[in-house]
Amino acid sequence: MQSGGSRMEGLSFLKNEPDKNGAEPGRGLLGWVDRRYQVTPLLEFMRHKQVPLGSHWMGWYYLGGITMFFFIVQVVTGVLLLMYFQPGEATAYESIHFLTTKVPFGWLIRSVHSWSAHLMIISLTLHMFSTMMLKAYRPPRELTWVSGYLLFLITLGFGFSGYLLPWNKLAYFATTVGTNIVRSVPFLGDWLLLVLRGGQDVTINTLYRFFAAHVVILPLAFVGIISLHLLFIQRQGMAPPISAKVAPRGMKFFPSFALRDVLLWLACLMLLVTLAVFLPYGPGIPGMDWELGSKADAMAPAYAGIKPEWYFLWEYQLLKEFPPHLFGLEGPQVCLFLIAILLGIWAIIPWLDRRAARNKPSPAFSDFGWAAILFLVYLTLMGWDIGATGAGNDMSLVQRSARVCAWWTLAAGVVMIAFRSWWFEHRWFVLTGAALLQIALHGLMGISYLLAGAISAGLAIIVIAASYFMTSRPNETGTT
Amino acid sequence: MQEQVHTVSNSTTSRRHFIDLLLGASILGWLASIAYPVIRYLKPLPQTGATGPTRLTREETAKLEQDQFIIVPVSGQRVIVLQSQDQKLLAFSAKCTHEGCTVTYLPGQSVIWCPCHDGRYDLSGRVLSGPPPKPLPEYAVRRQPDGGIVISEERA
Repeated sequence: MQSGGSRMEGLSFLKNEPDKNGAEPGRGLLGWVDRRYQVTPLLEFMRHKQVPLGSHWMGWYYLGGITMFFFIVQVVTGVLLLMYFQPGEATAYESIHFLTTKVPFGWLIRSVHSWSAHLMIISLTLHMFSTMMLKAYRPPRELTWVSGYLLFLITLGFGFSGYLLPWNKLAYFATTVGTNIVRSVPFLGDWLLLVLRGGQDVTINTLYRFFAAHVVILPLAFVGIISLHLLFIQRQGMAPPISAKVAPRGMKFFPSFALRDVLLWLACLMLLVTLAVFLPYGPGIPGMDWELGSKADAMAPAYAGIKPEWYFLWEYQLLKEFPPHLFGLEGPQVCLFLIAILLGIWAIIPWLDRRAARNKPSPAFSDFGWAAILFLVYLTLMGWDIGATGAGNDMSLVQRSARVCAWWTLAAGVVMIAFRSWWFEHRWFVLTGAALLQIALHGLMGISYLLAGAISAGLAIIVIAASYFMTSRPNETGTT
Repeated sequence: MQEQVHTVSNSTTSRRHFIDLLLGASILGWLASIAYPVIRYLKPLPQTGATGPTRLTREETAKLEQDQFIIVPVSGQRVIVLQSQDQKLLAFSAKCTHEGCTVTYLPGQSVIWCPCHDGRYDLSGRVLSGPPPKPLPEYAVRRQPDGGIVISEERA
């Protein structure tokens, strides 16, 4: 009893205060604030806020909070890094070198910042895919999805702009390739490239612009949009899955859910610090390695094995799979166009998924999410050159690598389908099937990536159209 | 009477409509007057610096002899100067036509190679394999009587 009382003392602001309907506000600080700003209705709202409980797993609800925790770590460590970082041709690389070698715990701050960035992208990606699979985007939560989608793009922007700041060789070429992609934007491409780089090529002017973006523009945008995102979630609450049996009473957000959140944050902090201390330069796999290396030199050639961060590997590999020319356009242009279409579809899913909007299961969209995962995994594995070991000329190495990656992805795909049909009772696998077919055609049979994609997409369209006509006919006869 | 009211209200509506239009146009003009300087500010000035032919320094020539290639700035552009197996001097833009990485020379294979996305060019700048959409532009390179090497912007 005693312990229960003291446990609640810290949360006394959540206790029932006198009624808001003109009754006497409470005493003390809360009463003082309440008489001026009328916060009781807000507290009342928070007290009644509930997280849906039921037959569904609650784990997915924590991923947004975890992502926010890593963002807070980024802000704190970022501000600490700012106190030593000096942007400039002769100082950027040198100041990071000084920070990691001379400043007490400088290595740790940088390591935590880098690890937290990667973990934030992992938790954000899981958060986004779980939202997608659970159809939490369905009305009335469309704008929560769109704001989350924008936060995802900004986070990728953080990763990309932060990468250049140490001004090392890897950063220089990654930025050269990454910024060059905007050249493919119709009409505005050349102007955008100039504005992004602050010149024709990547120079120290690019670093100044990226620095401004990384520490001012993107954080302001992020904080603005995440405020909206959180406001939407607070107003509407979390979405239960479509088919879940929701219990009549959920879990109280304050304090039950919030305390669980905090507990998880502590676990994340432990994980983060452990990784940062024992692997201060990352796990050492390509795309997840922040060894400072040598200073950027505009007159040095790119070197073998140069790779972007792991979360851009799929895009890097896709660029490689496009031929020099396609449909009268340059390969990279068509590639950018395809990526823009995919990202555009991803952004407007809440409006495309008509069945979920009517609170009915939409197996095609679940399958689309799983197919997207397979698409990304296969490209990422190939970007990593998994299996490209041993002797052989470059072409045979590429083919061998594609074969190994294909086997891995196909195995993952089969396990995925088995799991989905057993656990979620999914029965619709057309898009996953198309993704697996493309992987098999490209990786195992050696057909070009784009042709394999076209064959699989064509087959998927035929199957979908056929099943549409076959299911619509009995309905028609049924109604007449 | 009723008709009069009608005309009055009609003329007020069109007058209001006209004023709304003016207001809208002036807001647009006001926004443009803010946006224009910002856009101009963001667009960098054209690069200034040395233009015209570049003569390799003694160190650069030594590096060329040693590595069989060197990358130097010519009129603000990265240019790769290389020595082929038959000791011929060649110069190309060092910017891969795919995504702009800096290319390198593989003397053993007589190939100019971009490690970023595995683009390959032959020693006349033509694409051999990989994703580059265009050949590498060639630069003129001359060995002067005193042994100095000069690269000039004019395409050979």
